[in-house]
Amino acid sequence: MSMISFRAVFTGRAVRAVLGGLGGLVLWMSLIAAPAVAQTSGAPAATIGMTNTLSFTKDTVRVEVGETVRWKNNSVIVHTVTADPEEATMDESMRLPEGAASFHSGNLEPDETFEYTFETPGRYRYFCVPHEAAMRATVIVEPAEGQ
Amino acid sequence: MTCPQLVSVSLSSTQRSVRLRAGAFFQRGLLVLAGALLLLLGAVDTAQAQDKKMKKMLMQLQEMNQADGYLEAHRNIKEPLELLGGPISFTVEQNAGGVFVGLPDQRELDSDVFGTPEMPRAFTGTPGVTGVPVPFREVENGQFTQLDRPTPFGDKSMALPNGTMMLKAKDVTATDAATTKDEVKFKASWEDKEGNTYAVRCCEMLATAGPEFPTFGGVVTNHILHGFSGIGTPLMPTEYTYAAFWGMGEVLKNGEVVDKPRVVHGMLTEYVRTEGYELASDSEVTPTRRHFHLMVAPFMPVQGEHKFEHDNVSTGFQLPNGKELPFWHVMFENLNIDSQRGE
Repeated sequence: MSMISFRAVFTGRAVRAVLGGLGGLVLWMSLIAAPAVAQTSGAPAATIGMTNTLSFTKDTVRVEVGETVRWKNNSVIVHTVTADPEEATMDESMRLPEGAASFHSGNLEPDETFEYTFETPGRYRYFCVPHEAAMRATVIVEPAEGQ
Repeated sequence: MTCPQLVSVSLSSTQRSVRLRAGAFFQRGLLVLAGALLLLLGAVDTAQAQDKKMKKMLMQLQEMNQADGYLEAHRNIKEPLELLGGPISFTVEQNAGGVFVGLPDQRELDSDVFGTPEMPRAFTGTPGVTGVPVPFREVENGQFTQLDRPTPFGDKSMALPNGTMMLKAKDVTATDAATTKDEVKFKASWEDKEGNTYAVRCCEMLATAGPEFPTFGGVVTNHILHGFSGIGTPLMPTEYTYAAFWGMGEVLKNGEVVDKPRVVHGMLTEYVRTEGYELASDSEVTPTRRHFHLMVAPFMPVQGEHKFEHDNVSTGFQLPNGKELPFWHVMFENLNIDSQRGE
């Protein structure tokens, strides 16, 4: 079984809220200490918008293992990017490949972004928590070239 | 068209023949004109008769309202009983994010709620408030399809930024009555793209008893509303309602009151929107998610009578067609909810 790891990057108000709560010094120390939250390098392999009409702008995107997807909230509504069974209330809302870690952006306010780097191949079905009934999409992660 | 007087200037035989033909044509023209006038008068009479017939039908539908007897038994009760198990206090708030504003649209008609043309349901009461008259329903292949006119309850909406709301309420009184111990403090606001702020505040007075359907002392918790329930418009789907209130409040724009008093209704329900933010039918409701609806409807209770009449809300919000939005139907979906039973 391949090793599971992931990197997630929160930007905008999510980070500002944490900064306010913990204090700048503590936050920077925790960022260094926590490998799960780190800055990604380079451009994302795909960028997906979130709309005022309860949709992700791309139903399905394909990336390779190790590549990053960026979501941007282009709407005036709060959305999330979530593939976490603890947040889902409907079976059809999400699906993770065997062995893959779950992820959840938390609330993304207008113009905020969320990035996630996929390390396990397979089909990821994810959703927006407040709009679970309507707002779902898929990321297909393929093995990296040469693997 | 040729003018007959000009044709009859000379007296030659040909001209006389022309004049005779012209006279006959003139007579026929007069007959046609008279006929057209009669038809027009007839049409006016028919339109007036239809209008009168429609008004009579609407009055009859209001008189047939199915909750009248129940409400009559309750509205003069001076000491109503309290909720089984004691009062419920709750707060619902949204601190940031946007809102969805419902726009006028024609509602699709769900056969579970509205029946069929042969066996219609949900048609009594004030149109739009508690019923939908059958003549207002479009029919195709033997089924109701959609309402023939726009209402606040449809698929069209727009998202507006910076929405906040706070509802702090207590459900104490169980039934409709002359008095209530229920309490509501409500305020909500949102903005348009130009930075104008719109707000609704409530309640200077609670609806201790409903004119056309029960309001449970002004606040109700854990009840089914709308759809087939007969409580509130059937144009909204049947929805489990964790909390709802009805009261008299005010509508503001940029901090100034633009309409007061208005009936304000809010409710925390299971999720009733689908892809594209379309309004769900009963079978499309999502029971495991919730959202809050604010409604300032284009209706006001008629003084001294147990019915409503149409009365547009002054919202101050301009629609893309230049007209003023005549109601507020606003949804809040980024909620914090807290509740407790007991004093």
